[in-house]
Amino acid sequence: MLKNIQEWTLLLSIFGIVTLFGNWFGYDITPLSALPGMIVLILISLLGLVTQKILPFKLPSVAYIAIYGILISMPWTPSSEYIVAWTTEVELLALTTPILAYAGIAIGRSWTDFMKLGWKTIVVASFVLLGTFLGSAIIAEIVLRMQGII
Amino acid sequence: MSDQLRNIWKDWRLHITVLLIVIGAEWIGTHEFQIGPGVVMLLPMLYAIIIGIMLYFTPVISEKQSEKSEPLIVLGVSLLLAKIGVVVGPDLPDIIAAGPALLLQELGNLGTILIALPVAIFLGLKREAIGMTHSVAREPNVGLIMDKFGFGSPEGRGVMAVYIFGTVFGAIFMGLIAGFLATLTPLDPLSFAMASGIGSGSMMAAASGSLIGAFPELENQIIAYAGASNLLSLSTGLYVSLFIALPLTEKLYRLMTKNKFHDENGVK
Repeated sequence: MLKNIQEWTLLLSIFGIVTLFGNWFGYDITPLSALPGMIVLILISLLGLVTQKILPFKLPSVAYIAIYGILISMPWTPSSEYIVAWTTEVELLALTTPILAYAGIAIGRSWTDFMKLGWKTIVVASFVLLGTFLGSAIIAEIVLRMQGII
Repeated sequence: MSDQLRNIWKDWRLHITVLLIVIGAEWIGTHEFQIGPGVVMLLPMLYAIIIGIMLYFTPVISEKQSEKSEPLIVLGVSLLLAKIGVVVGPDLPDIIAAGPALLLQELGNLGTILIALPVAIFLGLKREAIGMTHSVAREPNVGLIMDKFGFGSPEGRGVMAVYIFGTVFGAIFMGLIAGFLATLTPLDPLSFAMASGIGSGSMMAAASGSLIGAFPELENQIIAYAGASNLLSLSTGLYVSLFIALPLTEKLYRLMTKNKFHDENGVK
């Protein structure tokens, strides 16, 4: 467990450093001003990863992580305004770019499988993604309108 | 997994490569172009994934490094979810107010069946079509189909095909269509934000990122809705598949192929 925590911390820190650079080059936020927010995000992630290992439920760690993130930033949580102010300095899009860079490198291995798919599969799979995206958006639109939120 | 995880941090060449990809991608910056009334967003993350795939085929990236990248995706998505958490937190009352919409749009996954199943049958696919179109074919759905039909079954081949497509092309595809559809159709960007949470971290990131690119003023609401919806998809997706989507797909498949059979007989 301790070894796991050590590895997670190191890897999250590496990922964090890459993100701080992207955050700097892409969104003009200096690494120094984004550092407190990044540390908060790393701590939340660690806490969620550890919780998932300890608790017997079969929930994915991202569920715990999101819940911890919500809990410490709720308006009712004391000094949540600091958490919110710090983490605002870490742009969401600055996090997604390195995720997809690593994903691209990992995906390379599936490329040969991908090239073996026939054109019919590619057409159907595109409609699968399009179908769920449009289907969810249409239902959300109807309910949000009925509720008067949009 | 823990053995695999060991020493990934020591592979500084991999991490420096990713750092250079990220800096390069951010340097190119966001570009957009118009197709009719819709706008297609080209975001740094899109270049990052394409550069990553291309580098795999050069000596810069080894097979081993490609494997080592996988745990880093998981940890990166952890940080992403932490960020989404702290965006949702301050607006929690608003998210709770949107609860009914968030819950019901989960049923939008059934849209895959209504749109994709007829296409699959029209193209002449047989029982593969059931595996292909019953869901978006992420890990829980693949597990369900394998469990029910077996690895070598036509249904199993179908779900694996869409899984591979989604893995390789899903984020790119969602990143391109999300902003485009949101600018093209009369539907509200926030409805598309909810639809972005389809149960895959990278597809959600790409879809919501593309929406933020197109509607920067709605950034926090887009993040909050997409994140909350993705969490719901992760926790309810399997049950929607198991109890609603899969039985419905099988029923529709029988219905549609039966009609086709009758037609063919009629022609004879």
